[in-house]
Amino acid sequence: MDRREFLKKGSVALAGTSGALGLPLLTSCRSQEAHADGPLAGRKWGMVIDLNKCREDCTACVDACRNENNVAYHEDQRWDIHWIRKVTIESKDTSNPIEKSVLLLCNHCENPPCAQVCPVQATYKREDGIVVVDHHRCIGCRYCMIACPYNARFFNYRENPDWPNKEFPKRSHGVAESCTFCAHLVDRGEQPACVAACASAGEGAMAFGNLDDPNSEVSRLIADRPVKRIREDWGTEPKVYYIGL
Amino acid sequence: MAVEFARLEGRSKPYYTAMVVLAGLGLVGTFATYYMHVHGLYLSGMTNRVPWGLQISMAIFYIGLSAGSLVVSGLYGIFGQMQYKPFARIAAYLAMLFLIAGLLSIFTDQGRLDRVLVEPFTHFNLRSMFSINPSLYSGHVMICVIYLWALFREKGTLTKIASLTVVLWAIGTHTGTGAIFAFVPRELYNSPLLPPSFVAAALSSGAALMILVNVALFRAAKRPLADELVVWLGRRLLAIFLLVTLYMMLIENLHRSYLVGTREAGLFFLFGGFHSLLFWVGLITLGCIIPAVLLFMRRTGTSVNWIVFASVLVVVGVLFERFLIVVPGLIHPPELFPGMEITSSPIWEGVVRYSVSFPEITQALGVAGVIGFAFLAGLKFMPLMPTEARAVA
Repeated sequence: MDRREFLKKGSVALAGTSGALGLPLLTSCRSQEAHADGPLAGRKWGMVIDLNKCREDCTACVDACRNENNVAYHEDQRWDIHWIRKVTIESKDTSNPIEKSVLLLCNHCENPPCAQVCPVQATYKREDGIVVVDHHRCIGCRYCMIACPYNARFFNYRENPDWPNKEFPKRSHGVAESCTFCAHLVDRGEQPACVAACASAGEGAMAFGNLDDPNSEVSRLIADRPVKRIREDWGTEPKVYYIGL
Repeated sequence: MAVEFARLEGRSKPYYTAMVVLAGLGLVGTFATYYMHVHGLYLSGMTNRVPWGLQISMAIFYIGLSAGSLVVSGLYGIFGQMQYKPFARIAAYLAMLFLIAGLLSIFTDQGRLDRVLVEPFTHFNLRSMFSINPSLYSGHVMICVIYLWALFREKGTLTKIASLTVVLWAIGTHTGTGAIFAFVPRELYNSPLLPPSFVAAALSSGAALMILVNVALFRAAKRPLADELVVWLGRRLLAIFLLVTLYMMLIENLHRSYLVGTREAGLFFLFGGFHSLLFWVGLITLGCIIPAVLLFMRRTGTSVNWIVFASVLVVVGVLFERFLIVVPGLIHPPELFPGMEITSSPIWEGVVRYSVSFPEITQALGVAGVIGFAFLAGLKFMPLMPTEARAVA
């Protein structure tokens, strides 16, 4: 092959290869940003949890979530999924003993690392700030679980044996998931199951609402009370605020 | 220097036995993968706290091996170092196969095998390392094919260009693989040193494997292999790569243990569990220091048998190193409440354990079987091996 032929064939090969490799990029050119007039625009959902009101023996939120969302429970800590969980934390400093209950759930971060790393864009942040997983697209690579610094994401390692809420799908094994702020309830004007359960059966420690509305309950709580988010220094901008943390 | 390449006869009993064993492993591994696809990944040792385990460790191990092989091959292609010409074709072919092994290991680890061949290509995420890397890997395999073709056709200029491209692309690929872990906010993952340290270990393991494969092949095929060539690979290449790897490990761990924010995690990695034993004994002592001493000492560094022994130690050490990249960062919990500790929870919140399961091991052996089979078949159907490898005067 002489130089001219090499240049010709080389250019064709290079063009072909770049084209083939570049085709997938075209799909990512589609804007993922919010449309100003879309149905979910104008709202930024957030939650405020008052840990001082959270009763130690109450599990209303946890039970309501599991029943509403068909969250898998195998009685095995290796594979059990907890969209919301209650933990007890104690201070390491024994001279100042503090013990409290904390509710841990997906923080629906404004800068979600899970959405950043999902190779198929199955995990994404909606225009209203809720981070969800498209379970028909998820390939189960679990990179989102690696990326989440809060350990708030779980994987369906085995088939969910129960289906308490037939009006809501249950996930097949092989996909990742986390709390959705009950987006299916929120979209029809209701409150997330945990918040509703806390209000009726618990102590009303949870508030959910629009952070962009200065008159919403959550906005007023954040403005009036000393609130804190978990590890704000990570820069994820979580949207779950705690009073009394 | 004229180097003649010839196909392997491939009719001997050991050859056929090896092919049957490797094919058998491949089949068993395929079955294990299928079984887990149907029943769920709970059959592996992975859990919600440790979602990545053996398969991902093996994937990055294979991908790393391909870099070292390519650099050896590239030394002939780019710099015209004739003494490496005998190894160039085998190295390029092995590099391609190792990349495929890495892709296979990742592929078999996914939760939804029915979607893995479609979704990543129709819904690409430019910001995700897990999306960018498979494109890098596939491009890499294609360039390896072109490079092998150039080597077969003995096209001087194309070989030079292809080999330069493949070495640069390899460095990019391995940086990207390190970035899968480094670009994630986990205390033991998040480190700008991880990508270059990954490349350094890749070069070490690849060079070591080149030594092992070539010595074994030439002895099995009863073709002469000059000692000087093995000594060059060992003392000139492998020894340097080892020192760089050791240096990277030192700085990474010093940095993590020095800074207050990461100190607890850094010390956990170094002294906090069984993985620490793997680190100090498996990686540092057996995998780096002992081989480096063996290679630098004149008496052992000029003996083929000692170099082979050192290479085995290096490959095993890097295998430990890949495991140490993946698992300790997951068994160590994130610090959600500084100054506080979680004393009760429905899930494991503290340090957890990870142990591989039998199906997982079967899967990993299956990948090794498929690649081994492809390698031996390649030796029989393509002129990859030189008839002899003599040192240049």
